[in-house]
Formats: sequence, structure tokens, C-alpha cells
Amino acid sequence: MKVGLVANPVSARDIRRVIANAACMPIADRANIVLRVMAALRACGVPRVLMMPENGGIRRHLTRSLKHENKLGHVDFPSLHYTDTSVTGAVEDTFAATQAMVQEGVKAIIVLGGDGTHRAVAKHCRQIAIAGISTGTNNAFPEQRESTITGLAVGLAVTGKIPSEIAVFPNKMLKVEKNEGEISDIAIVDVAVTTERYIGARALWRSDNFRELFVTYADPEVIGLSAIAGLLKPVGRHEPFGLHVRMQSSDTAKTIIRVPIAPGLIRPVGVLDFEDFPVQEPIYLSPESGMIALDGEREIDYGPEDQVKVTLVQNAFNTIDVSACMRYAGEKRLFRADLPLI
Amino acid sequence: MSNNPFPLNRDELLRAYRIMKTIREFEERVHVEFATGDLPGFVHLYAGEEASGAGIMMNLRQDDHISSTHRGHGHCIAKGVEVKGMVAELYGRSTGTCHGKGGSMHIADLDMGMMGANGILGAGAPLACGAALASKYKNDGTVGISFLGDGASNAGNFLESLNLAAVWDLPAIFVVENNGYAQSTSRDYAVAVDSYVDRAVGFGMPGVTVDGTDFFAVHEAAGEMISRAREGGGPSLLECNMIRFYGHFEGDAQTYRGQGEVDEIRKNRDCLKKFIQQVTQTKALKQSDLDGIDQEISVLINQAFDEAQKAPRPTEADLLTDVYISY
Repeated sequence: MKVGLVANPVSARDIRRVIANAACMPIADRANIVLRVMAALRACGVPRVLMMPENGGIRRHLTRSLKHENKLGHVDFPSLHYTDTSVTGAVEDTFAATQAMVQEGVKAIIVLGGDGTHRAVAKHCRQIAIAGISTGTNNAFPEQRESTITGLAVGLAVTGKIPSEIAVFPNKMLKVEKNEGEISDIAIVDVAVTTERYIGARALWRSDNFRELFVTYADPEVIGLSAIAGLLKPVGRHEPFGLHVRMQSSDTAKTIIRVPIAPGLIRPVGVLDFEDFPVQEPIYLSPESGMIALDGEREIDYGPEDQVKVTLVQNAFNTIDVSACMRYAGEKRLFRADLPLI
Repeated sequence: MSNNPFPLNRDELLRAYRIMKTIREFEERVHVEFATGDLPGFVHLYAGEEASGAGIMMNLRQDDHISSTHRGHGHCIAKGVEVKGMVAELYGRSTGTCHGKGGSMHIADLDMGMMGANGILGAGAPLACGAALASKYKNDGTVGISFLGDGASNAGNFLESLNLAAVWDLPAIFVVENNGYAQSTSRDYAVAVDSYVDRAVGFGMPGVTVDGTDFFAVHEAAGEMISRAREGGGPSLLECNMIRFYGHFEGDAQTYRGQGEVDEIRKNRDCLKKFIQQVTQTKALKQSDLDGIDQEISVLINQAFDEAQKAPRPTEADLLTDVYISY
């Protein structure tokens, strides 16, 4: 039995370090998170971890650290293996590694990254459940939690100690389609339209340029684009609808809300209106020109001649419900020392 | 509505293209001419890396200062150093930018804010700190930019410069042009702190990584960092992930590169092709606009090489000029 692990070495590296004092998690810390997750998985009886290879430094730190840990003998770890996929430093590495993990039959995939990394895994993980660890910039999707706990929850779930109806949580997803399939893509938190019509440094922060927003859920406790929706009308991850918000420049808007659009960056956003966004009822974007951002990154440009529709899909991919797993573990005393975890 | 979706107007887009294309044609021609044996010394070509130099320099003023590396031709051209003088300098002719005494690795043009290519790894970093310190004293809103390769990031002078820039709160930006090879040494072998951004954070300044093959990504990120420095926001570090088409130096057998690697990057990761695709697909520029510039550059490069090859060499009487200066 094995668990997949995708750790993005280049999340939390974009321009928001300069324009918004966003956090920058060092590579060594990311490797330490992986070690803590692995230790937790092993404690639950997971013998193998299959990881995405990368050249950003995480693998090298892990190799060194595992060598040290072997000599010290303080902690047991699962055996660590890598997918036989190429390393280009681009998001395609995550796509390929996720596909390889699915083919290899991993029981779950633990993801270190922000919303973008989780989106890349969700795009290819099929029914294999994801467990998210926040190492990105906005992190609306992965919950903030010590990685040891995430590792324990995943370990308990994949070894069958927690019923799957408790451990696994189905998620909504947004599908974006340009010109009936010319370009198709997904988002797991938000699809935003901005008047900035170039990809550039990818991140979005100039709030006066926002025009439309679709969210799978609207959490008022997160930062980023989905925070706009969260501060207008909170919508839960369980609820069978999302939210659609139309925006305009704060110079002309009647309703202006202040939104934490990036870490430490609270900006005025002009709101035209908002409505519930039902499942499987596509909405076409306004026939103007713009750039579509998927989970906070500029990805797809479109012009007046293009037709772009956004659709909310239910039960699109699964996540491990860490809170539910740990609550169950506490209630059932799964961690009693006189009972074997393995 | 304008067809131009970019944050640069038509003239600026044309200028960006002219810079990148001039660098490319310059380097491709140097590659050919160096093989004849007529060019003295070593040359290190910037072909494939143009988006970084152009993307950053399009945010600069003439009175901003840059320090470069041994791979400095692209930085010189992007900062506005005159091409004919550069070619003559490569040939060691008295009409060269430095009167034929610098050669490829020491081209400098202070009038254009180009403090010099530099044969010593990391040696440009303290020079950029000096320019930034002068800016701070004069309060003139200029910045100092230090270009470095990934190999130089282990050099003590670079690390000391990061510290200096941070403690003196200088308007300095360190640009690590990471083409994946420190000459022929891989990062795995030589670098314990894998991310250059992590080094910046370690010295208390923000660091950003961009796709250095995308002109618009570099331009936008560098623009924010440079504006921040001009306005008193302090130093920062920009890592441009990029690729080089040629070896570390001309004559490098490149046995450390994978089979077909160069063909693949020329085909799929060429920053100039990407720029052309971006501006023509959006109809911001027409191919005919670019073709006209290509012709002008072709004429310029041919003239520059013809004139340089015919230009006089420095004489014995020039031996001590440009060497000493009286303050």
C-alpha cells in the first residue's frame, strides 16, 4: 500500500512577495513538512510513499535528512520512491506525476502547495482523495494545519481504520470552456475575469480590474479572490451551489467592499450584483475582452468573438476530511497505546 | 477598443522586440565569427536569455545603473550601449566601447549606466550596491541592478552584498539569471540552499521567481520591484528561470547537457518566439512591423562587423590612456 505525495518547490514565490509581503516558505521547511507527514504515515502503518520528483531542492533535502534519520534511528519512515516522470519545472510535472500515482494505485495523494498546486492535482487525480497542506500564497483550498495531523488522518484513512464515508469528502469544481471545447480547464475555488488581458506575472491583485467571479464555495475566513464572495454571502463547501459575483470599478460602483485580496493587502472592490450559482447551470461570460484567472492565476484570454461558459460541478473530486478523521480517531480512541495502529 | 492587451504601448512593444532581436542577431553572429578565430579572448553568449535583460531594462531609465556578468552582451544592448562600439570592442579595436581594451568580458559604458561586464563571479553585486548607495545619498530615485548567474550565488561577494543592501536599505535589485548550469556544474553538486529566493529571505528582503523566458512575466515582476526600490521600499531579489542556447563559453563541448536538449529548448522555450506569438496572436503588432525591424537589425549587425573588422587597433601610444584617472 502506498500514498502519493506532491510537494511543489515553487509555490509561494510569485510577485505577491513584493506587492503584499506574502510568506515565503523555504525549501528546507517544505522538506521538513514532508518528513513529518512521512513519520505520521508510518506510525499508521503506511509502508511506501510515492513522490513527485523535482529539481527545486526538496528531494535533495529529503535524501540528506533520511540518511541522517537512518543513522539516528529515532523515527521510522515509509520507504520513499519517486514517480518515473520528467522534471521540467512547469505545472506539467504535477500533471504527469499525479497521473502516474493514479496508475500506481496510491490510496491518497498528499499535496504541499497553494490553490494552484491543488488545482493541478485535482485535474488528474480522478477518484483518489487529496489531502492538502498549505505552502502557497493564498491557500483558500488547503486548510491551515500542522502537517503531522494531516499525515495521521491520511494514514488512518488509507489503512481502513476510518470508514470512507467519514474520511472522504466530495468537492465541487468549476469547469471553464472556451468556444465549445477549444480550451477546457478547471478551478477548485474560483474563476475570475479581469480586464488585464495578458498573463504576465500571473497573480491578480489590481482589484479595480475585476469584472466577474465564480466560486465553488465562499469562505469569509480566507484571502484572495474567493474572499470577495465570502464577504458578500458565505457559502459552504457542502452546499449544492456556488456564488457568481459581477464587479465593476470602485470609482463607479454603488457597493464597495474591502477585501483581503492577497496576504496583508486589503483593497476596495466594486460590486455590481451577486447570485447563487447552481450546479450544472452554465453561465456565459459577458461578451467583452478579458483574462480568465483560475484559482488566482491568469490563464486564458478571450475576446468579444469568443464564447466562454463556466459550469459548477458537484462531486468532482475527493478530499480527505482531516477534521472528521481526527474527531473519529479521538472518539474511538484509535491512538490508545495498548491498541496497535499498525 | 485597442487590440493591444499588454501594459506597454505599441512603441514600447516595438522597442522590446528590437532589443531582443538585436541581442539574438548579435549573439548568433558572434557565434559564427568566433569560430573563425578572429575574435580574441573568450565570449559567453546570451542567446535564449533575451527576455530577462529586455524585460528588466524596459523598466529602467538611462541614469539607473546596472552591473553585469561575463555573459554581458545582452545586458549592454538592452541598457542602450551602442552596438557598433560593442562589436569593435569584441575585436579589440580602438573604436570599441572601451577603446579595445576591455573585450567581451569588460564592456562598460557609464554614460548609459552600464558599469561593466565582469569576469569575476559575483563581482558586479557590490558595484550595484555602490550605485544604489549613491542614489540614496543623492535621493535621485535611481536604482542599482546587479545581474548574476546561478553559479555566482555561492560567491562571498554576492552574499555580502545582499547583507549590505539589506542593512543599508539600498534601492538595489539582485537579478539571478538561473540557466541551470554554473558553467558545467549542476546545482545538486554545489548549492546547499537550493532556492535563490530562500537566500533573499535569509537576508531579510523579498524574493520572487519568474519564468525568465516570458518577457511579460519578467517585465511585470521587475517593474513592481523597481518601483518599490525607487519609492524607498528597499532591496529585493528576482530569480529568472531561463535557458541558454549555447555553451558556457564558445568552444564549450557541453558534454553535461542531455541529448537533444538544445534542440528542444530552441523549439519550445525560445523567449523570442514566445514574444512574437504573444504580440501577433493578440494583434497588438503585425508580423510586417517585426519584419521591418528585422531588416534594420540585419543591416546594423552587418555594418557593425564590417566596420569593426576594418577598424584600427590600439597603438603603443594608447597603452596608458584610459588606465589611470586623476580625481
